[in-house]
Amino acid sequence: MKIATQDTAKSRRSRPSEAVILFCIGTQTFAIAADAVQEIRSTDSLATAAVEMELAEVPKVRHLVERSHRTYYVVSGCAHFGLRVTRPTLVLILRQIRTAVLVDSIERMADVSSVHALPQAFQGEERQWYRGLIYLEDRVIPVIKPDGFLTPEEFARLDRAAKSIEARNELEGAVQA
Amino acid sequence: MSAAENHPRKSWVLLHVGNRRFALPAESVMELAPPVRLHNFPHTSRLIAGVIVRRGRIVPVYDVSPILCGRESSVHRFYLIAERTFGNASEASAIPVNGECELATSEMQPPQENAPPYFAGVLATENENIDVLDLQELVSAGMNSPATGNHAEPRP
Repeated sequence: MKIATQDTAKSRRSRPSEAVILFCIGTQTFAIAADAVQEIRSTDSLATAAVEMELAEVPKVRHLVERSHRTYYVVSGCAHFGLRVTRPTLVLILRQIRTAVLVDSIERMADVSSVHALPQAFQGEERQWYRGLIYLEDRVIPVIKPDGFLTPEEFARLDRAAKSIEARNELEGAVQA
Repeated sequence: MSAAENHPRKSWVLLHVGNRRFALPAESVMELAPPVRLHNFPHTSRLIAGVIVRRGRIVPVYDVSPILCGRESSVHRFYLIAERTFGNASEASAIPVNGECELATSEMQPPQENAPPYFAGVLATENENIDVLDLQELVSAGMNSPATGNHAEPRP
């Protein structure tokens, strides 16, 4: 018979975990890896910095913001997930992707030890939206893929639109001068 | 060789969906689960009502009532968990059922003429003919049916 050593017990205890931020859009809770989020701002604090843009091909993006010399496209979480329109109060500015996401509230942070794969039964857009699912306190919560908000094609379209907005603004500035 | 010839006398699980009885091959059925909590989140896959958690696994729930009975069934008392194959892999899949399931041994007859492809055959019992479900075909039929609304919104 083997007796569990302290090392075994320690390795069992030190199962790797991941910090996630739980946030809400409407009544739905989502999770995102904490290290995928650079900043959380209120929509009010970004209102003056946001530039309006409207692109029929990417209706979920209505604004862009400049942060640290980078252009971030602000995605409506409701529009992205097909949820009822709410009044978002916060913006999650993502770390490595030029995307910011409008959300209603932050619930809390949590440490999760495992992310379940999204079942194969799910064959729609959700395969791009979610990295997997977590089971936390009797709730199943989808874990967001940070790069699933906008496709490379959508980024290219938005970049073209942003350039034309910039050119128009420069022209208007020159006329006023 | 027909499907019926492939399935000599064997065991079937008889289940209630809506007000009808159907059968599934017993070897594909994993368990009959109690009415645990159905979890929802946004998605666009038709036919999926949500997921349940069973024995530490997250199991998708297929609401097959609209296909089999023409309407959503309001009474779900149990979940029948069966195996669905995806290429070489398989996945536990749940179907909400109305009542207790029964085990029966019978020989499957060929499906009735003009039967939809998700009926693999028929079991003739004393009082009724029970359609045998082909879960793969049934789910495909649901996926290919016209959209009935915005499925991204979690169902209540």
